[in-house]
Parts: sequence; C-alpha cells; structure tokens
Amino acid sequence: MQGKWKTGVIGAGLVLLTVTVIVLGGCGGSGVSGTVTLSGSTTVQPIAQEAADLFMKDNPSANVTVQGGGSSVGITQVSEGTVNIGDSSRGLKDEEKNLGLVDHKIAFDVIVLIVNPGVSVDNLTGDQVKGIFTGSITNWSQTGGTDGTITVVTRDSASGTREMFDEKALGSTKDQPVSLVTGAIEANSNGVMRQKIASTRGSIGYISYGYLDKSVKPLQFNGVTGNLQTGLDKTYPLARYLHMFTKGEPTGTTEAYIDFVLSPEFQNDTVTKEYIPMTKVNQQ
Amino acid sequence: MDKSSSISREWIVKKILFVLAMMAVLGIVLIIVLVTKESIPALTKVGPFNLFSTTWNPKTGDYGIVVFIVGTLLTTLGGLLIAVPLALGTALFLTQMAPQRMGTLVTRGVEILAGIPSIVIGWIGFTLLVPLLAALTRSAGTGILAASIILGIMSMPTITSIARDALETVPSSYKQASIGLGATRWQTIWHVILPAARPGLLVAVILGMGRAIGETVAVALVIGPATTFPKSLTTPTHTLTTKILMEMGESSGLQRSVLFAMAFALLLLSMGMILTVRLATRKKEFAR
Amino acid sequence: MNGTRVEALSAGYAGGRPAPRHETKSKMQDSVATIVVWSLAMLGLSALGVIIVAILWRGLATALNPAFIFGEPQAMKAGGGIWPMIVSSFYLAALTIVISLPIGVGAAIYMAEFAKEGKITKLVRFGADSLSTVPSIVYGIFGMMLFVVYFGFGYSLIAGALTLTILNLPTVMRTSEEALKAVPDSYREASMGLGANRWYTVKKVILPCAVPGITTGAILTIGRIIGESAAIIYTVGIFVKKIPLSPLAPGAPMSANIWHMYTEGALVPDWLRVASGEAAFLLLVVLALNLLARLVSWLYRRKTRTSDRFA
Repeated sequence: MQGKWKTGVIGAGLVLLTVTVIVLGGCGGSGVSGTVTLSGSTTVQPIAQEAADLFMKDNPSANVTVQGGGSSVGITQVSEGTVNIGDSSRGLKDEEKNLGLVDHKIAFDVIVLIVNPGVSVDNLTGDQVKGIFTGSITNWSQTGGTDGTITVVTRDSASGTREMFDEKALGSTKDQPVSLVTGAIEANSNGVMRQKIASTRGSIGYISYGYLDKSVKPLQFNGVTGNLQTGLDKTYPLARYLHMFTKGEPTGTTEAYIDFVLSPEFQNDTVTKEYIPMTKVNQQ
Repeated sequence: MDKSSSISREWIVKKILFVLAMMAVLGIVLIIVLVTKESIPALTKVGPFNLFSTTWNPKTGDYGIVVFIVGTLLTTLGGLLIAVPLALGTALFLTQMAPQRMGTLVTRGVEILAGIPSIVIGWIGFTLLVPLLAALTRSAGTGILAASIILGIMSMPTITSIARDALETVPSSYKQASIGLGATRWQTIWHVILPAARPGLLVAVILGMGRAIGETVAVALVIGPATTFPKSLTTPTHTLTTKILMEMGESSGLQRSVLFAMAFALLLLSMGMILTVRLATRKKEFAR
Repeated sequence: MNGTRVEALSAGYAGGRPAPRHETKSKMQDSVATIVVWSLAMLGLSALGVIIVAILWRGLATALNPAFIFGEPQAMKAGGGIWPMIVSSFYLAALTIVISLPIGVGAAIYMAEFAKEGKITKLVRFGADSLSTVPSIVYGIFGMMLFVVYFGFGYSLIAGALTLTILNLPTVMRTSEEALKAVPDSYREASMGLGANRWYTVKKVILPCAVPGITTGAILTIGRIIGESAAIIYTVGIFVKKIPLSPLAPGAPMSANIWHMYTEGALVPDWLRVASGEAAFLLLVVLALNLLARLVSWLYRRKTRTSDRFA
C-alpha cells in the first residue's frame, strides 16, 4: 500500500518536472520571429557578435544572441534545432555530412607562423617547419638562427586551426597523419597561443592573422609573408574558411542575419579588419 | 475528523520531503548514468588497451589517457605535500597553541581562503607565480610545480577545517593526563593527540585530495599544457580535468566520448575516496 | 578503553622523573615545534595575504571605475566593461538559490525531523557525500549534455542554475540540517506536548529558529556559485554583450568571462586590463558576501540573546 503511494508521488514529481521542462523549453525554441540564436566556435564568436550588434542597430525589433562553446557544440546544436546557426572554424566531418546542414562561408582566415621576439630567424621553409613540428629539428641553429632550444606550441587536438595547419603546413593526410614532437605545448585558443609565444623563449607557433600584435614576431613561410594580400592571391597557402551552418536553407530573421554577415557593407568594413572578406575571395 | 485530516496532510508533507531528500540520490544517479552512457563508445570502440596506453593522437586513433592520469596524480601528490604540513600546522596551532585573537584571525583567514574563487587563484598563478618560476628556473614556468603550489593553497582550507574538528574531538582528559605526567606540550601533541585523531586526520587528507583531483580552471592556467609526461617539475603537462576543459568544446565523436571516459575515471576516483572515508570513519567508531 | 593511551604514556614515565638533560632536550624540542607550528599557520595566512594584495594591486583601479563596472563589453576593441557579467553572476546565483533552497531545506527537514536513521537516511547521505566529491568540470559537461543539449535549453542561465543546484545540494542540505539540529529538543517536546503534530512543530517552531543558520548557509552558497567556473563555462556561456533577461538567455558570469578573456578574449587589445579588473571585482564581491554571512549570523545571535533575557 505504502509502496504504491511512494511510486505515485515520485511519478507525480516526474510529470511536474517534465511539464516544467516542456513549458520552459517551449519559449526558447527556434523559429520564433525576430530572434536568432548562434552558438559554436569561439574563433567565430567575436565577428558574429559584432555582426549581431550592427544588425540589431539596423533592425531594432530583431534579437540576436551569440554564444561560444566550440565548433562541435555549434554543429550539434544547429542540427538538433537548439540554435538557428552553428558557428564553426572547421568544415563538416564525414559523420556530420548527412545532418542536412547548409554551409555559409563567412570569412577567409590566414594563419601566420609566429615566434618569440627573441628568435633571430625570419623565414622558414616548408621542410624546416615540418622538421621543427615533428621533432627532427630541435635547435634554432639548425635553421640558420642563433643557438637556442626550440619550444613548439601547437593548438589542442580538437582545434580546427590545428587540423588545417597539420594538413597544409606539415603534409598530414588521413592515411598518413603526422605525429607532433612530444612535449609540444598546447594552446586552446589564439589568445593563449599568442601569450605562450610571447612569454616562452625560443618558441614557435601559429595564429590567426587578426590576433597578431607586437608581442610576437611573424615569420615568412617559404619566403612568403602571410597577410591578407598573399592569402587572397593564394601565394601563401596557410588559410581556411570560417563557417556558419544552418539546418536547411535559412528563413526569416536568420536569413536576414546571414545576408547581413555576407553583405559587402559588413564584409568590407568589419571582417576585413581581421580576416579576408568573402567579397574579395569571390572576386578571385 | 479534524485530527485525521491533519494526519493525512502530515503524511503527504512527509512524502514530499522524502522526494526532496531523494533528489541527492537522483542527482548522483543521473550523473553516473549520463557520464557512463557518453563514454560507452570510448570503452567499446576504442577499448581499454588503447585507452590505457601513453599515446594521444586522435588523428591516428590513439586515445591513451595515461599521461593525464599521471598528471592528475602528480599534481595532487604535489598539492598534498604542500597542503598537509600547512594545514596540519594550522590546525594544531588553532587547537593547541593559538592565543584567542590570533586564533580568530587565522580561522577567519582560512574561511576566506576557502571561499576565494578558483579562477582568481588561477589568475594569480598565471600573472604572478608562472612568470616568477620561469625567471627562477629559466623554463616555461608552467607544469607540476606551479600546479602543486596552486593546489596546495586551494586544498589547505579543506584539510585544515576537518583536521581541526578531528583534533578537537580528542578528549581534553588525554591532554591533561599527559601534561600532568610531565610531558611537554609537543610530546603531548606528538604521542597523544595526533595518534588519537588519526582517523579524522586521514579523512581530512582524503577530502583535501578530492579537492585537488577535481580542481580544473586554476590548474588549467598554470599547467602548460602539453600532452606529454613531464620531464621536470617545470615542464608543461596535462591533467584529466584540464584536458576535458580545453577540448570538450571543439571535439566530436569518439574524441568527445573519450573525454567523457576521462570524466568517468574522475567519478571512479571520487567514489573510491568516499568509500575510503567511510571505511576510515567506521574504524574510528570501533576504536572508541 | 579511553585510558589505554594514557596508561601507556604513564608507564613510559614510571621510572621516575626524567633526567635533567633529557628535560632540557625535550624543552628545546618543544620550543622548536612551537616555532614550526606558528610559522606554518602564519605561512597559510600570508598566502591569503599575497593573493588578495596581488589581485587588488593589478585590478583594483580598474574594478572601481564606474565606466568599467557599468560599461558594455567589447568583442573586438578596447575599453569594454563588465556590467552584463556582473548581472549574469547575480542572476545565476539568485536562480540557483530559488531552485536549490526549497529542495535542500526540504531534504534537510526530512533528514532532521522525519526520517528514522536507517537505510533511507544512509542512502541519502551517501548520495549527498558522493555529489560533494564529484569534480565541478564533471558537473559542467554533465549539465552541458543534459540541460544544454538533451533538454534543449542551449547555453542559458537556467541550464547553469540546474547544474549548480545539483552541485550545491549537499552543502545546502548539510548547512540546513545543522541549523535544524541546533534547535534545542526542548522546543520540539514543548510544541508536541501542547498537541501540535510534527509538521506544525517544524513549520511554526523549528524552521523560524533555524532561519539564521539557513540564511548564513545560503549566503555562503551564493559566494560559491559566483566563484564557480568549471561547471558553468559549458552550461551558461562565457561572453555576452547584453544583460540577460530571460532565464533561457545565455549569460557570462564573471568567473567564466575571465576564462574567456584568457582564451579568445585576446582579440581585445586590453584583455589583460579587463580580466585583472574583473578578477579584482569578483574577489571584492566574494569577500563582501563572506562579511555579509558573518554579519547575519552575528545579528541573529545578538537578537536571540536579548530575547532570551526577556524570556
């Protein structure tokens, strides 16, 4: 008898919880007119946020919220309908290709090799870079610099930037992936990368062009300076796209927001400060 | 009539309160179930041999987590080496020697230290401790030593307050008898009070260890990080918590599942500690 | 049994008083030990001093600047403030307390007043003990999967509040139970003796007496929530520009935002200034809450003392 009551009370509690969840969940769902939600890559977040601010200034009734969380979180959430747009610093992986996501490339990002300002080298060849990051070159004197141990800083193993760098700079492929030198320091963002390079003697790493500042020294790669111009004309190979994914073709406010992000106005005024705007990529 | 209705109302209230009390059980069950469920792909598709290897390279399908386990164990051990003397000293000071005002000051200090957010302590580590160690040791400054100092400071309040309780439960008759027999204060502490409080002190150390194992953000700011065994006390390495924190956002598929398997390992560690504490306190009951 | 140790000790001294030289040696040992214990205690205290001074040294000037406190955060340029982060921190704390206090106090009432010690109480205590040792990053990714993804709340204050409710449940339960148990049994006996049933007694007699203890516990819990970071980075969010209004809106509590400034926030030229200022402000908030908790318990103690005098 008592046992029955107990189950009853627990059951009622669960029902109550479920109802609360549904009610609460209902008002946060996607597709509400005037609201756009984004989550995903922390690399894309600042630019998406800047776009949101400007977009809302033009459309005061619209409400755009931007969240981070990481590329995979963004892709998961947009495919499940939790958010309208998933930001990503990488393309879709094989297992993500059948989720029905539409890719909107919003910027072209140049990745620049950087070293600690104390390093005397100005240029590295592709082979030297590969040697350094895989551990066969361990001293700057082996690359024509003054004597000093090389400390490699890379991005964490989940990073889209790392994936691009391993492929394009180190020649890593799916069948023959490279293994990095043991002891490489891992930075989980552009900011941490810059700070580690600035504070670690003899260090080398790579960073999005927009994050370059005086605290680190950029290197040429195969004799080419990495900047927006060389990235654009493809003489500098280390570059990748930043993405926004939607579930199916975007509609309503979401479409308006993405159109705004891709508009010449936003691309040429804001995106161009840190990345190569899509307007220029498309002209090529 | 009136009485029976009030009885049944009390009965309903009791059931509701029972459900609320069971929320703690529900919470831990939910956590265990969800973390286990998310780590199943790692346990089945990656397999224990791969997981318990020393190579971490998701591109080649190597998901060895031994580096992180070693990192967690070393930083925890280092943290305890710093925290236990500090905490035991402070607890002895508070219970055996402190003049009243000084005692109150130290007690408040320990309470405040316990409440300082880990990101704040980590920020000190990042802006002050790491540059200092880097200059002193001519290295990156990050690694086991920096993490141990940070963890030592953070687990010290936990250990102090539990150790203090343990020392206070030693009957004062022990102390009086010992002093009365001509023993000095230190002899009394060393031969009488500390042995009598041993089970409680053990619990204090274990719970301090729990704090050190689980700490995340503060360690992440000073650990390096690098997925490699530390070559020295000031070379970067990684721990279970810092790897989860740094890669959860961007990882997907199997790699994410492995991160949950690492969380599962942390759960096992903390459950193991709870059981040890239970065992230790049970023994104490027997001894009384 | 209590006597065994003392007897053993007295047996050691049974040969009469120790020789004088032995005595000076043990006296010296005693003073050395005293110095060591004192220094250890002072070292712990000075660690706290260093932390507070260093954080305030770097960030106090920024933290006390109204333009910083009430300013809008910046994603790509210098000069940002932290107002939405301050609001997020307190909003998250309020939401968590609103959810966790009824559960925690209810559970404590059950444990302290209704339950007989036995299997159920053991199970609940084991559950609470286990919860209190789960690392906060595990709470973080648990909350991310359950509330952010499965329930579809997205990064939101409510997802963080539900996560933190479970995280703080053991503490809220324990402080509340202690507050309830501190109420003298004579109160219960008197009330029940007058014919009141247990729930009436709890509601009208025990709970009012336990309010100061529960309040103090709640304030300390608020401090812990505001200082928590690992559990909220993946549930609430790390950066917002606007004040979150709905519980379903994403937030960026100060502690999580400092992590953001350390990682991606570096696109802002003055990220070091912002993060240091935010750390100093966060520290001041936590110290103030600590003080408030102390004040509340002191006030109530004074009040009850005066009422005792008139009783």
